[in-house]
Amino acid sequence: MMQNTEGKKSESETYLRVEKLKTQFFTARGIVKALDEIDLTIRKGEIYGLVGESGCGKSVTAQSIMYLVPDPPGRIVSGKIYVGNVNILTGLEQLAKITVKSETNVKIKRNKRMIKRHNYLLSRIRGDRISMIFQEPTLALNPVIRVGDQIAENILLHLKVDMANAILRREMSTRKDYESFVQKALSIGDKDARNKAIREWCESYSISDAEELVRNIFLTYQDPETVVKSIEFIVNERKSGTNINRLSRAREYYLYQQRLFEATLNLMEAESGKNQDEIDRARTALNEIKKEGSSFLSFRIINKFIGKRIEAPLRDAAKRRVHELLNLVNIAEPERTALSYPHELSGGMQQRVMIAMALASNPQMLIADEPTTALDVTTQAQILDLIRNLNRQMGSSVLFITHDLAVIAQMCNRVGVMYAGNIVEEADVNTIFDNPKHPYTIGLLKALPRADRIAGKMVKLETVAGSVPNLITPPTGCRFHPRCKFKMDICEKKKPELDDLGDGHKVACWLYQEPGGSGK
Amino acid sequence: MELRYFILRRLLLLIPTVLGLSIFMFILIEAVPKAILVTPYINPHSRIPYIIQEANALKILGFNYPPPIAYLFYLDRLLHGNLGLMSMPGYPNSVAAAIVDAFPNTIQLTIFASLLSIAIAIPLGTYIGARPNSIADQAGRVFSLTGYAIPAFWLALMLQIVFGKNILLGNPLGVLPFSGSFSASAIPNPTPSWFVNGITYPTHLVIFDALIHGDFPLFVDALKHIILPVLTLTYGILAGILRFMRAGMVDASNQEYVKTARSKGVPEKLVIKRHIRKNAMIPTITVMGLLVAGLLGGVVLVEYVFAYPGMGYLTTQGILSYQIWLVIGTTLIFGLILVLTNLIVDVVYALTDPRIRY
Ligand SMILES: Nc1ncnc2c1ncn2[C@@H]1O[C@H](COP(=O)(O)OP(=O)(O)OP(=O)(O)O)[C@@H](O)[C@H]1O
Ligand code: SF4
Ligand SMILES: [Mg+2]
Repeated sequence: MMQNTEGKKSESETYLRVEKLKTQFFTARGIVKALDEIDLTIRKGEIYGLVGESGCGKSVTAQSIMYLVPDPPGRIVSGKIYVGNVNILTGLEQLAKITVKSETNVKIKRNKRMIKRHNYLLSRIRGDRISMIFQEPTLALNPVIRVGDQIAENILLHLKVDMANAILRREMSTRKDYESFVQKALSIGDKDARNKAIREWCESYSISDAEELVRNIFLTYQDPETVVKSIEFIVNERKSGTNINRLSRAREYYLYQQRLFEATLNLMEAESGKNQDEIDRARTALNEIKKEGSSFLSFRIINKFIGKRIEAPLRDAAKRRVHELLNLVNIAEPERTALSYPHELSGGMQQRVMIAMALASNPQMLIADEPTTALDVTTQAQILDLIRNLNRQMGSSVLFITHDLAVIAQMCNRVGVMYAGNIVEEADVNTIFDNPKHPYTIGLLKALPRADRIAGKMVKLETVAGSVPNLITPPTGCRFHPRCKFKMDICEKKKPELDDLGDGHKVACWLYQEPGGSGK
Repeated sequence: MELRYFILRRLLLLIPTVLGLSIFMFILIEAVPKAILVTPYINPHSRIPYIIQEANALKILGFNYPPPIAYLFYLDRLLHGNLGLMSMPGYPNSVAAAIVDAFPNTIQLTIFASLLSIAIAIPLGTYIGARPNSIADQAGRVFSLTGYAIPAFWLALMLQIVFGKNILLGNPLGVLPFSGSFSASAIPNPTPSWFVNGITYPTHLVIFDALIHGDFPLFVDALKHIILPVLTLTYGILAGILRFMRAGMVDASNQEYVKTARSKGVPEKLVIKRHIRKNAMIPTITVMGLLVAGLLGGVVLVEYVFAYPGMGYLTTQGILSYQIWLVIGTTLIFGLILVLTNLIVDVVYALTDPRIRY
């Protein structure tokens, strides 16, 4: 109840909301309970840092949000992940039936049809609303595809409608440009002045080779309409020539695909709601839209054969955007770099390319899983700057994963501390560093060399005693209890919830909660 | 640009390789008793005494000089297209001429078998490799392991028994001819000018020559003759390519860049086609070259079992009747084919994998 009203309050500014996410790996040695019902919200435009020891589940969290957990062995068992307003785990129960007979004997029965539909949903969300940067750029780029093409792929998948709109708008406006130019040129009485105007115009349309022709047209005809038509003809002749009709038909088709997606999504949402009326309504709506599809039959056949030609202007636009993006991530020679293969670039350059790729389709959220761990210190600083600047410029949210608290301190607005598959503390960055509450966070911070503590004297850095628990048989109750100095009886028995202490400082520890009776 | 230099360099490298091959062949020749080497050069019906004929032949072949000089004589003969003499009934006297007659048939078998196996194995490997451990995958695995395990000559015999015409009485499947490259009964009557001594012109390939000259029944007959040998050869390489393609697909599927592709929202079909298969092709191409080269070994057996008049058949006939120059000649040609195949594979490899430094 409480959570519900609270959820409503922050709805407007939340972009990602993860609820009770449970991800497990079904291995031969037992079930790895990697994520234990974690909750996580990321607001629009903020950089959220996720920090924790190796193996605590940071990458699994990131992969779960993208639905990229390697399957087998991993599966998201339950939970909700709202990206914007879409729950990417819609219909999760229908994707596969998991029957747990024992730790090592788990039967997973997959439903191929549902998985196919879910993949379709994902392909529309991934890269479009939410993108990811990986730890090892060397491994994350496809070695046999030119990096420019890898970036363009993303653009062509998600921005077709926008690009087609832009191209069509430009092509429409050209006609108006011709008209105004012809009017102007005809009104110039002086021959030399007119010729100069013609030369400039030809240059601006990069058809200088046709200047003579254009001049002759002006000499031959006086009627503006004829002149405009002739000029249009020449310009189209000189340029490769976009087929406006085909492109606008293509745009209609892309829009139809978008509607189809939205209707499918609605149906999936209705189906997870169990309200028969709604399901029927969503299904009829989807069928209606599918019927529209038949009018695209001839287009689809044409597209199959000359799709490359229809999309040629889109590809050109994508190429230009690739160069822009490479510029944006501070790559000096965009044209040349776009044509390189990944192995021809340095690690830092590769990570820049990855970032350009992730940003290619203007996602509202970026997940960066230790994006600088594989890089040297100088490059690391540059990449961090880049991510921070892009976050400011584009206003997209960032989920920033690292095990380096120093990086968290300089990058993030809010921080979540993870321990053994749980988020144990969450607060804004200053609160975490100045007023940590959870015993694990306190331990982590003690292990961090800090200027104010080092100043003057040598300080022996402490580490958190003990080691990370095995997640096949995690400790009961609070998973931190075997290593906790403040352990109480209840800690072993009951798991503490992530509870708000006020001002959005959340802690999952019995020290700060009243467990119905026993406590401090 | 760079690729052109790479190919040029590889072509230049061919020269020492081929020289090395010829030296190796010459060592084999040197190991053979001289009396056997000169046999085809001696006319038993001549009145000139054997000793004198032998001495003459040795002199012509350069064997009266020390081996290095004799090698130069051999090289000179090779460069003039002279592979030595032979005497087998029904064959020309010149080894080179016999090889020219037989060579196209072998190339035809090899090319058909390679193309067929590639055309099947690549899409099939893509399909099952994208669904590891599915039923299709299990079936594919059994299929390719069987292909590895079955010796070509046994498969050839089995195919003959099952599909060979008139081998098993009342066998409804027995509809295919299993010996030779055409049936004597299919030769047009009267024998046309492009059909001389069982050899067709201009390509020496019955299938194509029949087509060129518009003899459709002969074309069909020749096509039927090639089915069983091609199938036998295909199965072996098909199995190999399939296995590598599947393994390549599975391996590539687990790479990080596939995760990247999915994270970009690339639809599953394109992930397989664009991102996984492209990478899986690289190891497959390497092994494809080796397998196609390995076909040359298989082709000897298969041609023998099916009495298909190619290089392999010619070689076995030569071995059985002690035609030393013939055997040396075909071995040399097989070696050349191997070298050329390797060159082609390297070039294709360089074309597919941008990481290769030429
Ligand atoms: N493919 C897998 N199979 C089995 N267990 C896995 C798999 N991937 C992750 N896990 C388990 O999930 C847990 C969390 O792993 P995760 O990779 O998220 O750690 P992390 O926090 O990202 O650590 P690091 O800082 O080392 O990257 C680990 O206990 C790990 O053993
Ligand atoms: S709940 Fe108990 S064991 Fe867990 S951190 Fe708090 S005090 Fe320690
Ligand atoms: Mg990790």
